[in-house]
Amino acid sequence: MGVLNNSLPDIAPVRGVDAAINWGRGSSIWPMTFGIACCAIEMMAVYAATFDLDRFGAGVPRATPRQSDLIIVPGTVNAKMAVRVKRLYDQMAEPRYVLAMGACVCGGGPYVKWGYNTVKGVHKVIPVDIFVPGCPPRPEALMDGILKLKEKISREAVFARRERSAREMDARYG
Amino acid sequence: MNEQGLHGRLASSGIAGIGALDSSARDPFVVLESAALVPALTFLRDQPDTRMEVLHNVTAVERPDAMELVYHLCSLTHHHSLTLKVKVPRPEGGNHDNWRPEVPSVAGVYSAAIWHEREQWDLLGVRFAGNPDHRRILLPEEWIGHPLRKDYVYPTDHGGIPLELDAVPLYERRPGQPSQPPKPPRPAGTPLFQPPAALSKRPVGAGGTTDEGRKQAEALEKDRLARRAPGTGAGGTEGKP
Repeated sequence: MGVLNNSLPDIAPVRGVDAAINWGRGSSIWPMTFGIACCAIEMMAVYAATFDLDRFGAGVPRATPRQSDLIIVPGTVNAKMAVRVKRLYDQMAEPRYVLAMGACVCGGGPYVKWGYNTVKGVHKVIPVDIFVPGCPPRPEALMDGILKLKEKISREAVFARRERSAREMDARYG
Repeated sequence: MNEQGLHGRLASSGIAGIGALDSSARDPFVVLESAALVPALTFLRDQPDTRMEVLHNVTAVERPDAMELVYHLCSLTHHHSLTLKVKVPRPEGGNHDNWRPEVPSVAGVYSAAIWHEREQWDLLGVRFAGNPDHRRILLPEEWIGHPLRKDYVYPTDHGGIPLELDAVPLYERRPGQPSQPPKPPRPAGTPLFQPPAALSKRPVGAGGTTDEGRKQAEALEKDRLARRAPGTGAGGTEGKP
């Protein structure tokens, strides 16, 4: 697929194939088994039976970045951890998505002023697709974030030639 | 045994440098000379009628005139506890950026103290003479400064990771672009204690917790409704059948 990426004309049959691929991708988002702080507890609740993220196809946390499509960053990212977050993101295969979960990850949260060690939002380190604020977010909010991501994936162009902004190209291939 | 009893045992132990018991605090404490720290803790741990087996924590408080080390001890055998404090006076005058107060380590008495003392070194820059593993515990090894000190200067980034709110994200930078525009260095003679931030002008309880605030909120609400529906009285739906 890599060779054909965004190389075919933007016509109805190509768009149909794109839509089928996006449906597959959006319905089987495999998140990485990854937790940093207290939001991770809430994330585990979303994986578990009561809320059951598997209803949306995202309930199969993979234990390696090589197999995962999504990295949910749940919890305060500090200077020590940011290096590891960036490395894990770099190890993920395309297409890859980032979901920032919680106030700390969306912009520093309570540490925004006096947090000497806190990265003020994980978007300073890796490009974020979906922000889910809250301290911690309700399980419904995280599920809504996953559904928003699914919606975003459904709008992507896989084979069809479509314009991408310079910012998006930088974020992906920098 | 209560705090008075424990202080009496300490005072009659013959160890030099045991201060008076301060019972005015909710948690009464004894102030010690730093030379008396290790003998006093050893005494409290080993005497059969005190038996302080547990060192709950070692912490420190930075005061304008001193660095105050606090030791919380308790006994599981006798169900009593005691707080000990050691004060290291701040040197007179000058810039204290590089002041490293030093106290003897109690790691030889309680091995649990090793990590607690490493934490105080990490965050407050207190030196513990005799600690066998005197490294930082939480922050990266190459971190500069001790963040909980009053005169700490906040870093802009660490090892290429931006730490400021207005930093440019890593993946949006052009080659050679700095993380943010250069800032002036901290001026010499900056006061050690920053003045408190100015209070908000918003009246306390404007949400309706005090009578005055509630009146103010009601007036605002009436005003808002009047502006929204001119000519129909105070509210849009009020008065309609």
